[in-house]
Amino acid sequence: MEEKKQCKGCGGALPFVIGFVAAVIAGWVLFPNLLYSKKVQPIRFSHKIHQEQGMECSGCHAFRDDGSYAGLPNNDKCMECHSDVVGSDPAEKLYVEEYAKKGKEVPWLIYQYQPDNVIFSHKAHESFECKSCHLELEKSDTPPVYYENRLSGYSKQTMKMWQCERCHAENGVSNACHVCHK
Amino acid sequence: MGLDRRGFVKIVVGGVAGTLFTPVIWQSLDDVSIWSQNWPWIPRLNKGEVKSKAALSKLCPSGCAVKVKTVGGLPFAVAGNAANPMSKGGVCPVCAAGAQLMYSPARVQSPMKKVGEGKFEAIKWEDAEALLVEKLTALKGQDGKIAAISGDETGTANEVISALLAGLGNSGTYMMPGEKFVAEKGVKLMGGSGQPGFDIAGADLVLMIGADALDSWGATVANQKAFAATRPTGGVATAKFVYAGPVLNSSAAVSDKFLPVPPTATAAFALGLANQLISAGAVSSAPDFAEYKALAAKYTAEEVEKATGLKPETMKELAAMIKAAKAPLVIAGASFGQGAGALDFVAGASLNVLLGRVGSGMTLLPAAPKAIASSSVSEKDAASFLANVATGKAAVGALLVYEANPAYALPQAGDMAKALGNIAFKVSFSTYMDETAALCDLILPAPHPYERFDDAMNPYGVAKPTYLAGKPVVKKPVADCKDPVDVLLGAAGKLGLSLGFETYADVIKAKAAALGADFDALTAGGIWNGEAKGASLNLGASALAKAAPAKADDKTLALAPVCKLAYGSATLATPPANLLTVRDTELSGKDLFVQMNAATAKKVGVAEGAKVKLSAGSGEMKARVHLNEGVAPGTVAVLLGFGRSAWDEFTKGKGDNVYKILTVSDEAGTGLKVWAGSTVTVAKV
Ligand code: SF4
Repeated sequence: MEEKKQCKGCGGALPFVIGFVAAVIAGWVLFPNLLYSKKVQPIRFSHKIHQEQGMECSGCHAFRDDGSYAGLPNNDKCMECHSDVVGSDPAEKLYVEEYAKKGKEVPWLIYQYQPDNVIFSHKAHESFECKSCHLELEKSDTPPVYYENRLSGYSKQTMKMWQCERCHAENGVSNACHVCHK
Repeated sequence: MGLDRRGFVKIVVGGVAGTLFTPVIWQSLDDVSIWSQNWPWIPRLNKGEVKSKAALSKLCPSGCAVKVKTVGGLPFAVAGNAANPMSKGGVCPVCAAGAQLMYSPARVQSPMKKVGEGKFEAIKWEDAEALLVEKLTALKGQDGKIAAISGDETGTANEVISALLAGLGNSGTYMMPGEKFVAEKGVKLMGGSGQPGFDIAGADLVLMIGADALDSWGATVANQKAFAATRPTGGVATAKFVYAGPVLNSSAAVSDKFLPVPPTATAAFALGLANQLISAGAVSSAPDFAEYKALAAKYTAEEVEKATGLKPETMKELAAMIKAAKAPLVIAGASFGQGAGALDFVAGASLNVLLGRVGSGMTLLPAAPKAIASSSVSEKDAASFLANVATGKAAVGALLVYEANPAYALPQAGDMAKALGNIAFKVSFSTYMDETAALCDLILPAPHPYERFDDAMNPYGVAKPTYLAGKPVVKKPVADCKDPVDVLLGAAGKLGLSLGFETYADVIKAKAAALGADFDALTAGGIWNGEAKGASLNLGASALAKAAPAKADDKTLALAPVCKLAYGSATLATPPANLLTVRDTELSGKDLFVQMNAATAKKVGVAEGAKVKLSAGSGEMKARVHLNEGVAPGTVAVLLGFGRSAWDEFTKGKGDNVYKILTVSDEAGTGLKVWAGSTVTVAKV
């Protein structure tokens, strides 16, 4: 009994602090690394090279006539230039051989992938800058790593409902269910 | 220095407290909230551009020009094509479910070879085609050994099939029974030739005798549009419609008048009406008018009442209505689109002759030019053919079944299915695993209408020569299928025959060119129309004189199969979405309800809900009774399209199949096989 009372290392706030600090480090450093798996895009698409060719963002990411947003271009669009290999980049060769020629769409990883029960209108958000919500990719030569949440299966960048609601509230837009869920 | 319990607890508490200052809990809670939308078994939407593409939707042989809506290239909905002058933006409930049917679990996913009773294994296309060629090669040159059954009344595919058989030294291409076949025979009996047409849009009174023209007869959607045009919203109706038939069906429900006439008495009804009209002064310049008049005189109001139950005043009123009309039109047919005799047709059509409406109301279409000169289909239909197979009169070694389901949709269906067992090698070209495909040795999956080229020449009922064509709206079918005609053309090549074409698309282009039509305009949703030929018909008096009066007895009831197109067709089980529209008084659980009026029910000693067995020939079916005063006296009405033994979980095993109890007889005077006037015994179980 005497000995236990004298146990110095177990007394005071130190163990609490140790636990606290360890948890904070684990929570901020280890947890994010464990939570997300890293994936790379099936094709190393360079926005930079395409921009250097004088292409506009809207050449591929455009509104359709009915106001819906095309999002990522499909083979029809890419094959306007790449139905055959035109350059020396191995990424282009891979695209042409594995996708364009086989009539297979590229399974791009969508950084802002939203579930099907969310109806998001790009038209209604047209006045915002793309980078308000999306990663800035226009100068990238290699697409950034895609972090997939191991629990939910979504991308790290997927916007959550609270973020949508906050912005709606700040801008005086309705947060009624039917605004985003039809 | 050691760690005691208290120290450990402090570390844990510190850890928990520290965790609250990290994203672990908050992020996890946040993620869980959307995780539930990402479960792998939740169906995913196909994203992409929404387009509306013109297609020929041939889920029944009529074929309608429609617009198929696609997203990211895949169909998801069907709407009418307002630019098409025939369907004018309309679509019936079957094709409205057309996109859904593309993804049906009943679709045959790849070529299948039978490996045991009810067992199939998937095989490669090259093996399947090699097997087909091998079997045909073995029987080549032996007449009667190879036959084909087609359920597509309007497609040029029939020309390819019959030309292939002709090239192999065989002539047996048999059509599934339909109105067109019988009507053409009827026209011949009236001294004419060609397919009859009916100008519903140009009539101010339409009398439908049996023919369910506003639901399942002829070019349904075009008929419905013609009807709708006479009923302007808020305006006065510009035409009258009368339905005389066994059941208050969809056509009767919207008509101005419904006259209950048992299916065994349609000819008597028509001739009774002729008698009334002649008594009221109608005359005809047809050479057999005198003979016709004498024949009609036998069908007095009293006789008609005996046969139909209709009071003499009712017939008089109808005659007066017709006399008052400027452009009356009579359309006769079986209430379920098959099995009527040529004389039933003649009896109805003779009224058009009597009213001077041939050439204007009732037209005759000239024979369409062929894409393949060597083609010709048999004079007999598939029911007669399989009856011969059953008795051994026809010894067939190989049978090609194209878009047809003879094991389900022929009279005495049970016997027909057994007859198929007498044929050593059967191939089914079918999109779906239907009852016939399930009995075949080889199944070669056909594309869904939105995945293929197809055409429709003169759908039965159209008033002028009409041609529609369509092309695929998808880049690739969703199953591993091939166009049956492409397969047959390929087989022809391997058998050393040249039919002059390599693909069905080329055949259709040639057909369009032969008509002088623009293929591209057709596949964009257009139409080609020609002119009906001028012709005069006689009244068919000598043929009608041979008509045998319907036999009535106390033990049997007249059987009236009822076709509701929404519930499917001979070649298509009820689309899953449409099952929701089946009423509780038609199908409850697995029980099908047969309908009869209260007086008939009393006569056979059954009440509402009673379980009954209906039998005729070697077939029988089970059902329950629903009382419905919309059924003609002495008649039991039974819905078609139920009692499926193949297809999918949605349709299989629901109700029973009325085709099993339809009985075939020979029509007096023409020798045609008929079953529209079948009778059945109804017994309580
Ligand atoms: S009538 Fe109906 S089922 Fe037949 S093709 Fe037209 S829409 Fe389709």
